[in-house]
Amino acid sequence: MRLIVDTFEYGFKEVPRWNTISISGYHIREAGSTAIQELAFTLGDGVEYVKWAIKRGLKIDDFAPRLSFFFNAHNDFFEEIAKYRAARRIWAQEMKDLGAKKDRSLYMRFHTQTAGCSLTAQQPEINIARVTMQALSAVLGGTQSLHTNSMDEALALPSEKAARIALRTQQIIAEESGVTSTVDPLGGSYYIEWLTDKMVEETYKYFDRVEKLGGVIPAIEKGFYQREIAESAYKYQREIDDKERFMVGVNKYTMDEPIEIPILKMDEEGEKRQINRLKKLRKDRNNSKVNRNLDNLRKAANGNENLMPIILDCVHSYATLGETCDVLREVFGEYTEPAIY
Amino acid sequence: MDQKIRVLVAKPGLDGHDRGAKIVARALRDAGMEVVYTGLHQTAEMIVETAIQEDVNVIGLSLLSGAHMTLFRDVTKLLKQKGLDDVIVIGGGIIPEEDVNKLKEAGVCGVFGPGTHCDDIVEFIRKNVKK
Repeated sequence: MRLIVDTFEYGFKEVPRWNTISISGYHIREAGSTAIQELAFTLGDGVEYVKWAIKRGLKIDDFAPRLSFFFNAHNDFFEEIAKYRAARRIWAQEMKDLGAKKDRSLYMRFHTQTAGCSLTAQQPEINIARVTMQALSAVLGGTQSLHTNSMDEALALPSEKAARIALRTQQIIAEESGVTSTVDPLGGSYYIEWLTDKMVEETYKYFDRVEKLGGVIPAIEKGFYQREIAESAYKYQREIDDKERFMVGVNKYTMDEPIEIPILKMDEEGEKRQINRLKKLRKDRNNSKVNRNLDNLRKAANGNENLMPIILDCVHSYATLGETCDVLREVFGEYTEPAIY
Repeated sequence: MDQKIRVLVAKPGLDGHDRGAKIVARALRDAGMEVVYTGLHQTAEMIVETAIQEDVNVIGLSLLSGAHMTLFRDVTKLLKQKGLDDVIVIGGGIIPEEDVNKLKEAGVCGVFGPGTHCDDIVEFIRKNVKK
Protein backbone atom coordinates (compact mmCIF):
# COMPACT_ATOMS: atom_id res chain seq x y z
CA MET A 1 0.00 0.00 0.00
CA ARG A 2 2.81 2.37 0.86
CA LEU A 3 4.53 1.81 -2.48
CA ILE A 4 1.24 2.33 -4.35
CA VAL A 5 0.59 5.63 -2.60
CA ASP A 6 4.26 6.64 -3.12
CA THR A 7 3.72 6.02 -6.83
CA PHE A 8 0.58 8.22 -6.91
CA GLU A 9 2.32 11.01 -5.06
CA TYR A 10 5.49 10.91 -7.11
CA GLY A 11 3.53 10.67 -10.35
CA PHE A 12 1.42 13.71 -9.61
CA LYS A 13 4.45 15.81 -8.65
CA GLU A 14 7.05 14.66 -11.15
CA VAL A 15 5.42 12.94 -14.14
CA PRO A 16 1.85 14.28 -14.23
CA ARG A 17 0.89 12.61 -17.52
CA TRP A 18 2.09 9.19 -16.41
CA ASN A 19 -0.49 6.46 -15.82
CA THR A 20 0.62 5.65 -12.30
CA ILE A 21 -0.87 2.20 -11.91
CA SER A 22 -2.97 -0.31 -13.76
CA ILE A 23 -5.45 -1.81 -11.31
CA SER A 24 -5.81 -5.35 -12.51
CA GLY A 25 -8.71 -7.75 -12.68
CA TYR A 26 -7.11 -9.79 -15.45
CA HIS A 27 -5.22 -12.12 -13.15
CA ILE A 28 -8.25 -12.50 -10.89
CA ARG A 29 -10.32 -13.72 -13.84
CA GLU A 30 -7.54 -15.96 -15.15
CA ALA A 31 -7.34 -17.52 -11.68
CA GLY A 32 -10.92 -18.62 -12.23
CA SER A 33 -13.21 -15.91 -10.89
CA THR A 34 -16.59 -15.07 -12.39
CA ALA A 35 -17.17 -11.79 -14.24
CA ILE A 36 -18.87 -10.33 -11.19
CA GLN A 37 -16.00 -11.33 -8.90
CA GLU A 38 -13.53 -9.79 -11.34
CA LEU A 39 -15.51 -6.57 -11.27
CA ALA A 40 -16.09 -6.47 -7.52
CA PHE A 41 -12.57 -7.42 -6.44
CA THR A 42 -10.81 -5.12 -8.91
CA LEU A 43 -12.93 -2.08 -8.15
CA GLY A 44 -12.70 -2.87 -4.45
CA ASP A 45 -8.90 -2.82 -4.74
CA GLY A 46 -9.06 0.46 -6.67
CA VAL A 47 -11.25 2.16 -4.09
CA GLU A 48 -8.95 0.92 -1.33
CA TYR A 49 -5.88 2.46 -3.03
CA VAL A 50 -7.72 5.76 -3.32
CA LYS A 51 -8.73 5.71 0.35
CA TRP A 52 -5.14 5.09 1.43
CA ALA A 53 -3.90 7.94 -0.73
CA ILE A 54 -6.49 10.29 0.77
CA LYS A 55 -5.41 9.16 4.24
CA ARG A 56 -1.83 10.13 3.33
CA GLY A 57 -3.11 13.65 2.58
CA LEU A 58 -3.21 13.49 -1.23
CA LYS A 59 -6.08 15.27 -2.97
CA ILE A 60 -8.25 12.88 -4.95
CA ASP A 61 -8.47 15.16 -8.00
CA ASP A 62 -4.66 15.28 -8.15
CA PHE A 63 -4.10 11.56 -8.63
CA ALA A 64 -7.43 9.89 -9.60
CA PRO A 65 -7.33 11.09 -13.24
CA ARG A 66 -4.13 9.08 -13.83
CA LEU A 67 -5.39 5.75 -12.50
CA SER A 68 -6.18 3.07 -15.05
CA PHE A 69 -7.60 -0.45 -15.02
CA PHE A 70 -6.91 -3.76 -16.68
CA PHE A 71 -9.74 -6.20 -17.42
CA ASN A 72 -10.17 -9.62 -18.97
CA ALA A 73 -12.37 -10.34 -22.01
CA HIS A 74 -13.88 -13.79 -21.56
CA ASN A 75 -16.36 -15.86 -23.55
CA ASP A 76 -19.80 -14.64 -22.49
CA PHE A 77 -20.18 -11.81 -24.99
CA PHE A 78 -22.97 -9.72 -23.48
CA GLU A 79 -21.89 -10.36 -19.91
CA GLU A 80 -18.46 -8.95 -20.72
CA ILE A 81 -19.90 -5.82 -22.35
CA ALA A 82 -22.16 -5.28 -19.34
CA LYS A 83 -19.16 -5.77 -17.06
CA TYR A 84 -17.19 -2.90 -18.62
CA ARG A 85 -20.24 -0.64 -18.54
CA ALA A 86 -20.92 -1.52 -14.90
CA ALA A 87 -17.26 -0.87 -14.06
CA ARG A 88 -17.42 2.67 -15.42
CA ARG A 89 -20.67 3.42 -13.64
CA ILE A 90 -19.47 2.13 -10.26
CA TRP A 91 -16.10 3.84 -10.50
CA ALA A 92 -17.61 7.25 -11.28
CA GLN A 93 -20.01 6.91 -8.35
CA GLU A 94 -17.29 5.78 -5.92
CA MET A 95 -14.98 8.63 -6.90
CA LYS A 96 -17.83 11.13 -6.44
CA ASP A 97 -18.58 9.66 -3.02
CA LEU A 98 -14.92 10.05 -2.07
CA GLY A 99 -15.07 13.74 -2.92
CA ALA A 100 -13.86 13.96 -6.53
CA LYS A 101 -14.90 17.19 -8.26
CA LYS A 102 -13.07 16.95 -11.60
CA ASP A 103 -14.71 15.02 -14.42
CA ARG A 104 -11.40 13.39 -15.22
CA SER A 105 -11.31 11.80 -11.77
CA LEU A 106 -14.55 10.00 -12.58
CA TYR A 107 -13.41 8.56 -15.91
CA MET A 108 -12.46 4.93 -15.84
CA ARG A 109 -9.83 4.23 -18.46
CA PHE A 110 -9.02 0.60 -19.02
CA HIS A 111 -6.94 -1.85 -20.97
CA THR A 112 -8.36 -5.23 -21.92
CA GLN A 113 -6.70 -8.53 -22.74
CA THR A 114 -8.59 -11.51 -24.12
CA ALA A 115 -8.86 -14.51 -21.80
CA GLY A 116 -5.83 -16.78 -22.03
CA CYS A 117 -7.58 -19.40 -19.96
CA SER A 118 -10.39 -19.70 -22.52
CA LEU A 119 -8.07 -20.92 -25.27
CA THR A 120 -7.83 -24.57 -26.25
CA ALA A 121 -4.79 -26.66 -27.10
CA GLN A 122 -7.09 -28.77 -29.27
CA GLN A 123 -7.77 -27.43 -32.79
CA PRO A 124 -5.79 -24.29 -31.96
CA GLU A 125 -6.82 -22.40 -35.11
CA ILE A 126 -10.35 -21.99 -33.73
CA ASN A 127 -8.91 -19.80 -30.98
CA ILE A 128 -8.76 -17.03 -33.61
CA ALA A 129 -12.58 -17.01 -33.60
CA ARG A 130 -12.68 -16.98 -29.79
CA VAL A 131 -10.24 -14.09 -29.58
CA THR A 132 -12.22 -12.11 -32.18
CA MET A 133 -15.44 -12.40 -30.18
CA GLN A 134 -13.69 -11.52 -26.92
CA ALA A 135 -11.88 -8.55 -28.44
CA LEU A 136 -15.12 -7.27 -29.95
CA SER A 137 -16.83 -7.39 -26.56
CA ALA A 138 -14.03 -5.26 -25.10
CA VAL A 139 -14.34 -2.69 -27.90
CA LEU A 140 -18.14 -2.54 -27.62
CA GLY A 141 -17.67 -2.15 -23.86
CA GLY A 142 -15.45 0.88 -24.46
CA THR A 143 -11.89 -0.29 -23.78
CA GLN A 144 -9.09 2.23 -24.33
CA SER A 145 -6.50 -0.34 -25.37
CA LEU A 146 -6.51 -3.99 -26.26
CA HIS A 147 -4.33 -7.09 -26.23
CA THR A 148 -5.52 -9.96 -28.43
CA ASN A 149 -4.05 -13.35 -27.52
CA SER A 150 -2.40 -15.64 -30.03
CA MET A 151 -4.07 -18.86 -31.11
CA ASP A 152 -1.21 -21.04 -29.86
CA GLU A 153 -1.08 -19.84 -26.25
CA ALA A 154 -2.44 -23.09 -24.82
CA LEU A 155 0.53 -24.84 -26.46
CA ALA A 156 3.56 -22.60 -26.07
CA LEU A 157 4.73 -19.01 -26.08
CA PRO A 158 3.39 -17.39 -29.25
CA SER A 159 5.05 -17.87 -32.60
CA GLU A 160 5.66 -14.79 -34.77
CA LYS A 161 2.87 -15.82 -37.11
CA ALA A 162 0.30 -16.45 -34.39
CA ALA A 163 1.12 -13.11 -32.76
CA ARG A 164 0.70 -11.33 -36.11
CA ILE A 165 -2.71 -12.89 -36.71
CA ALA A 166 -3.76 -11.74 -33.24
CA LEU A 167 -2.62 -8.21 -34.08
CA ARG A 168 -4.43 -8.28 -37.44
CA THR A 169 -7.59 -9.41 -35.62
CA GLN A 170 -7.76 -6.17 -33.69
CA GLN A 171 -6.80 -4.15 -36.73
CA ILE A 172 -9.80 -5.64 -38.56
CA ILE A 173 -12.04 -4.65 -35.65
CA ALA A 174 -10.51 -1.17 -35.54
CA GLU A 175 -10.31 -0.36 -39.23
CA GLU A 176 -12.77 -2.54 -41.13
CA SER A 177 -15.73 -3.31 -38.92
CA GLY A 178 -16.83 0.24 -38.19
CA VAL A 179 -17.67 -0.59 -34.56
CA THR A 180 -15.28 2.02 -33.20
CA SER A 181 -17.16 4.98 -34.63
CA THR A 182 -19.90 4.89 -32.00
CA VAL A 183 -19.50 5.42 -28.27
CA ASP A 184 -21.34 2.83 -26.16
CA PRO A 185 -23.24 1.44 -29.17
CA LEU A 186 -25.24 -1.04 -27.06
CA GLY A 187 -26.43 1.56 -24.54
CA GLY A 188 -30.23 1.40 -24.46
CA SER A 189 -30.45 -2.27 -25.38
CA TYR A 190 -32.94 -3.73 -22.90
CA TYR A 191 -30.80 -6.76 -22.25
CA ILE A 192 -27.47 -4.97 -21.88
CA GLU A 193 -29.00 -2.33 -19.62
CA TRP A 194 -30.65 -4.99 -17.45
CA LEU A 195 -27.42 -6.99 -17.22
CA THR A 196 -25.39 -3.86 -16.42
CA ASP A 197 -27.78 -3.00 -13.57
CA LYS A 198 -27.58 -6.54 -12.28
CA MET A 199 -23.77 -6.55 -12.30
CA VAL A 200 -23.67 -3.23 -10.47
CA GLU A 201 -26.03 -4.63 -7.86
CA GLU A 202 -24.02 -7.86 -7.43
CA THR A 203 -20.78 -5.87 -7.13
CA TYR A 204 -22.19 -3.80 -4.28
CA LYS A 205 -23.22 -7.02 -2.53
CA TYR A 206 -19.57 -8.10 -2.63
CA PHE A 207 -18.48 -4.66 -1.39
CA ASP A 208 -20.81 -5.16 1.60
CA ARG A 209 -19.44 -8.64 2.33
CA VAL A 210 -15.87 -7.34 2.22
CA GLU A 211 -16.82 -4.43 4.49
CA LYS A 212 -18.24 -6.90 7.02
CA LEU A 213 -14.90 -8.74 7.03
CA GLY A 214 -13.21 -5.48 7.99
CA GLY A 215 -12.23 -4.21 4.53
CA VAL A 216 -10.08 -5.30 1.60
CA ILE A 217 -6.86 -6.15 3.45
CA PRO A 218 -8.47 -8.18 6.25
CA ALA A 219 -10.52 -9.99 3.56
CA ILE A 220 -7.30 -10.93 1.73
CA GLU A 221 -5.66 -12.00 4.98
CA LYS A 222 -8.67 -14.14 5.86
CA GLY A 223 -8.48 -15.80 2.44
CA PHE A 224 -11.92 -14.55 1.41
CA TYR A 225 -10.96 -13.61 -2.15
CA GLN A 226 -8.85 -16.71 -2.62
CA ARG A 227 -11.68 -18.96 -1.42
CA GLU A 228 -14.28 -17.28 -3.62
CA ILE A 229 -12.04 -17.53 -6.68
CA ALA A 230 -10.99 -21.14 -6.02
CA GLU A 231 -14.64 -22.11 -5.63
CA SER A 232 -15.62 -20.51 -8.95
CA ALA A 233 -12.62 -21.99 -10.75
CA TYR A 234 -13.41 -25.50 -9.56
CA LYS A 235 -17.10 -25.15 -10.41
CA TYR A 236 -16.21 -23.98 -13.93
CA GLN A 237 -13.89 -26.94 -14.49
CA ARG A 238 -16.46 -29.44 -13.18
CA GLU A 239 -19.03 -27.99 -15.56
CA ILE A 240 -16.67 -28.62 -18.44
CA ASP A 241 -15.82 -32.12 -17.18
CA ASP A 242 -19.53 -32.91 -16.79
CA LYS A 243 -20.40 -31.35 -20.16
CA GLU A 244 -22.71 -28.84 -18.55
CA ARG A 245 -20.55 -26.18 -20.17
CA PHE A 246 -19.22 -26.65 -23.67
CA MET A 247 -15.73 -25.99 -24.91
CA VAL A 248 -15.58 -26.52 -28.65
CA GLY A 249 -12.80 -28.95 -29.51
CA VAL A 250 -12.48 -30.13 -25.88
CA ASN A 251 -15.81 -31.65 -24.86
CA LYS A 252 -17.77 -31.07 -28.07
CA TYR A 253 -16.88 -31.37 -31.77
CA THR A 254 -13.62 -33.05 -30.82
CA MET A 255 -11.21 -34.37 -33.44
CA ASP A 256 -8.19 -36.54 -33.26
CA GLU A 257 -5.76 -34.83 -35.57
CA PRO A 258 -2.19 -33.64 -35.25
CA ILE A 259 -1.55 -29.95 -34.58
CA GLU A 260 -0.47 -28.26 -37.78
CA ILE A 261 0.52 -24.78 -36.71
CA PRO A 262 4.16 -23.78 -36.09
CA ILE A 263 5.21 -23.88 -32.44
CA LEU A 264 7.85 -21.52 -31.07
CA LYS A 265 10.93 -23.30 -29.79
CA MET A 266 12.70 -21.73 -26.87
CA ASP A 267 16.35 -20.99 -27.47
CA GLU A 268 18.13 -22.61 -24.54
CA GLU A 269 21.09 -20.31 -25.16
CA GLY A 270 18.88 -17.36 -24.24
CA GLU A 271 19.27 -18.06 -20.54
CA LYS A 272 23.07 -18.13 -20.81
CA ARG A 273 23.13 -14.92 -22.85
CA GLN A 274 21.07 -13.13 -20.24
CA ILE A 275 23.23 -14.43 -17.36
CA ASN A 276 26.35 -13.22 -19.16
CA ARG A 277 24.85 -9.78 -19.78
CA LEU A 278 24.03 -9.55 -16.09
CA LYS A 279 27.54 -10.61 -15.07
CA LYS A 280 29.05 -7.97 -17.36
CA LEU A 281 26.71 -5.32 -15.98
CA ARG A 282 27.68 -6.16 -12.41
CA LYS A 283 31.35 -5.94 -13.30
CA ASP A 284 31.19 -2.67 -15.26
CA ARG A 285 28.95 -0.55 -13.03
CA ASN A 286 30.12 1.58 -10.12
CA ASN A 287 29.47 -0.91 -7.33
CA SER A 288 30.20 1.41 -4.43
CA LYS A 289 27.55 3.76 -5.80
CA VAL A 290 25.09 0.85 -6.14
CA ASN A 291 25.69 -0.20 -2.55
CA ARG A 292 25.33 3.36 -1.29
CA ASN A 293 22.00 3.73 -3.11
CA LEU A 294 20.74 0.38 -1.82
CA ASP A 295 21.73 1.40 1.72
CA ASN A 296 19.82 4.66 1.31
CA LEU A 297 16.81 2.67 0.16
CA ARG A 298 17.05 0.44 3.23
CA LYS A 299 17.14 3.45 5.54
CA ALA A 300 14.28 5.19 3.73
CA ALA A 301 12.14 2.04 3.69
CA ASN A 302 12.48 1.90 7.47
CA GLY A 303 11.21 5.48 7.68
CA ASN A 304 8.28 7.31 6.09
CA GLU A 305 9.58 9.21 3.10
CA ASN A 306 8.48 8.59 -0.49
CA LEU A 307 10.61 5.76 -1.87
CA MET A 308 10.25 6.53 -5.58
CA PRO A 309 13.18 8.99 -5.93
CA ILE A 310 15.44 6.61 -4.02
CA ILE A 311 14.36 3.61 -6.09
CA LEU A 312 15.14 5.69 -9.19
CA ASP A 313 18.63 6.42 -7.82
CA CYS A 314 19.14 2.67 -7.52
CA VAL A 315 17.91 2.12 -11.07
CA HIS A 316 20.11 4.90 -12.48
CA SER A 317 23.17 3.33 -10.91
CA TYR A 318 22.20 -0.03 -12.49
CA ALA A 319 21.13 -1.86 -9.37
CA THR A 320 19.14 -4.84 -10.64
CA LEU A 321 15.47 -5.37 -10.01
CA GLY A 322 16.36 -8.34 -7.81
CA GLU A 323 18.81 -6.34 -5.71
CA THR A 324 16.37 -3.47 -5.25
CA CYS A 325 13.46 -5.76 -4.33
CA ASP A 326 15.69 -7.78 -1.99
CA VAL A 327 16.22 -4.64 0.08
CA LEU A 328 12.48 -3.99 0.20
CA ARG A 329 11.80 -7.64 1.07
CA GLU A 330 14.38 -7.44 3.83
CA VAL A 331 12.59 -4.44 5.38
CA PHE A 332 8.94 -5.22 4.64
CA GLY A 333 8.97 -9.03 4.60
CA GLU A 334 7.23 -11.06 1.96
CA TYR A 335 3.58 -11.98 1.59
CA THR A 336 2.76 -15.66 1.34
CA GLU A 337 -0.68 -16.45 0.09
CA PRO A 338 -2.71 -18.96 2.08
CA ALA A 339 -3.05 -22.03 -0.18
CA ILE A 340 -6.78 -22.46 -0.59
CA TYR A 341 -8.19 -25.05 -2.99
CA MET B 1 -8.74 -50.38 4.56
CA ASP B 2 -6.22 -49.28 1.96
CA GLN B 3 -3.91 -46.48 2.92
CA LYS B 4 -4.80 -43.22 1.14
CA ILE B 5 -2.67 -42.16 -1.80
CA ARG B 6 -0.62 -39.10 -0.85
CA VAL B 7 0.02 -36.46 -3.51
CA LEU B 8 2.20 -33.35 -3.53
CA VAL B 9 1.03 -30.73 -6.02
CA ALA B 10 3.92 -28.37 -6.72
CA LYS B 11 4.62 -25.18 -8.67
CA PRO B 12 8.31 -24.98 -9.57
CA GLY B 13 10.03 -21.81 -10.74
CA LEU B 14 8.82 -18.31 -11.50
CA ASP B 15 5.26 -18.94 -12.59
CA GLY B 16 2.18 -17.52 -10.95
CA HIS B 17 -0.43 -19.53 -12.86
CA ASP B 18 -1.86 -21.87 -10.26
CA ARG B 19 -5.49 -22.19 -11.27
CA GLY B 20 -4.90 -25.62 -12.81
CA ALA B 21 -2.74 -26.84 -9.93
CA LYS B 22 -5.39 -25.88 -7.39
CA ILE B 23 -8.20 -27.44 -9.42
CA VAL B 24 -6.25 -30.68 -9.75
CA ALA B 25 -5.40 -30.59 -6.03
CA ARG B 26 -9.06 -30.30 -5.16
CA ALA B 27 -10.16 -32.96 -7.67
CA LEU B 28 -7.63 -35.41 -6.20
CA ARG B 29 -8.79 -34.59 -2.68
CA ASP B 30 -12.42 -35.09 -3.73
CA ALA B 31 -11.34 -38.47 -5.15
CA GLY B 32 -10.18 -39.49 -1.67
CA MET B 33 -6.45 -38.76 -1.88
CA GLU B 34 -4.41 -36.80 0.68
CA VAL B 35 -3.17 -33.69 -1.09
CA VAL B 36 -0.50 -31.16 -0.13
CA TYR B 37 -0.05 -28.05 -2.28
CA THR B 38 3.32 -26.28 -2.06
CA GLY B 39 2.24 -22.82 -3.18
CA LEU B 40 4.17 -20.82 -5.78
CA HIS B 41 7.86 -20.32 -6.61
CA GLN B 42 9.36 -23.59 -5.42
CA THR B 43 12.84 -24.87 -6.20
CA ALA B 44 13.45 -28.52 -7.03
CA GLU B 45 15.13 -28.87 -3.62
CA MET B 46 12.09 -27.48 -1.81
CA ILE B 47 9.75 -29.79 -3.71
CA VAL B 48 11.77 -32.93 -3.05
CA GLU B 49 12.25 -31.97 0.58
CA THR B 50 8.49 -31.51 1.01
CA ALA B 51 7.89 -34.82 -0.77
CA ILE B 52 10.15 -36.53 1.77
CA GLN B 53 8.62 -34.75 4.77
CA GLU B 54 5.09 -35.49 3.64
CA ASP B 55 5.93 -39.03 2.58
CA VAL B 56 4.02 -38.76 -0.68
CA ASN B 57 3.47 -41.37 -3.39
CA VAL B 58 3.00 -38.87 -6.20
CA ILE B 59 4.43 -35.48 -7.16
CA GLY B 60 2.32 -33.45 -9.58
CA LEU B 61 4.27 -30.59 -11.17
CA SER B 62 2.51 -27.69 -12.86
CA LEU B 63 4.25 -25.20 -15.10
CA LEU B 64 2.99 -22.70 -17.65
CA SER B 65 6.11 -20.58 -18.09
CA GLY B 66 7.91 -22.66 -20.73
CA ALA B 67 10.73 -23.76 -18.40
CA HIS B 68 9.36 -27.29 -17.89
CA MET B 69 12.28 -29.06 -19.59
CA THR B 70 14.76 -27.65 -17.08
CA LEU B 71 12.64 -27.60 -13.95
CA PHE B 72 10.82 -30.94 -14.32
CA ARG B 73 14.14 -32.62 -15.04
CA ASP B 74 15.71 -31.01 -11.96
CA VAL B 75 13.02 -32.62 -9.81
CA THR B 76 13.30 -36.11 -11.31
CA LYS B 77 17.11 -35.97 -11.12
CA LEU B 78 17.04 -34.98 -7.48
CA LEU B 79 14.51 -37.69 -6.66
CA LYS B 80 16.81 -40.26 -8.21
CA GLN B 81 19.80 -38.90 -6.27
CA LYS B 82 17.86 -39.18 -3.04
CA GLY B 83 16.81 -42.70 -3.92
CA LEU B 84 13.07 -42.00 -3.94
CA ASP B 85 12.29 -44.64 -6.56
CA ASP B 86 8.78 -45.28 -5.29
CA VAL B 87 7.55 -41.71 -5.92
CA ILE B 88 5.99 -41.17 -9.33
CA VAL B 89 6.13 -37.77 -11.03
CA ILE B 90 3.42 -36.40 -13.28
CA GLY B 91 3.23 -32.98 -14.88
CA GLY B 92 0.88 -30.53 -16.51
CA GLY B 93 0.69 -27.06 -18.00
CA ILE B 94 1.60 -25.46 -21.30
CA ILE B 95 3.78 -28.19 -22.72
CA PRO B 96 4.27 -28.68 -26.47
CA GLU B 97 3.65 -32.17 -27.84
CA GLU B 98 7.28 -32.65 -28.84
CA ASP B 99 8.46 -32.10 -25.26
CA VAL B 100 6.14 -34.76 -23.85
CA ASN B 101 8.31 -37.71 -24.90
CA LYS B 102 11.48 -35.99 -23.70
CA LEU B 103 9.85 -35.45 -20.33
CA LYS B 104 8.79 -39.10 -20.19
CA GLU B 105 12.39 -40.14 -20.89
CA ALA B 106 13.43 -37.87 -18.02
CA GLY B 107 11.15 -39.73 -15.64
CA VAL B 108 7.89 -37.79 -15.78
CA CYS B 109 5.51 -40.68 -16.25
CA GLY B 110 2.39 -38.77 -17.23
CA VAL B 111 1.91 -35.37 -18.87
CA PHE B 112 -1.52 -33.71 -18.86
CA GLY B 113 -2.12 -30.68 -21.03
CA PRO B 114 -5.00 -28.19 -21.29
CA GLY B 115 -8.39 -29.81 -21.78
CA THR B 116 -7.59 -32.81 -19.56
CA HIS B 117 -10.56 -34.25 -17.70
CA CYS B 118 -9.84 -34.31 -13.95
CA ASP B 119 -11.02 -37.92 -13.72
CA ASP B 120 -8.31 -38.97 -16.19
CA ILE B 121 -5.64 -37.73 -13.79
CA VAL B 122 -7.28 -39.54 -10.86
CA GLU B 123 -7.44 -42.75 -12.85
CA PHE B 124 -3.85 -42.44 -14.04
CA ILE B 125 -2.56 -42.01 -10.51
CA ARG B 126 -4.55 -44.97 -9.18
CA LYS B 127 -3.22 -47.17 -11.95
CA ASN B 128 0.42 -46.11 -11.75
CA VAL B 129 1.08 -45.38 -8.10
CA LYS B 130 3.71 -47.61 -6.47
CA LYS B 131 2.61 -48.71 -3.03
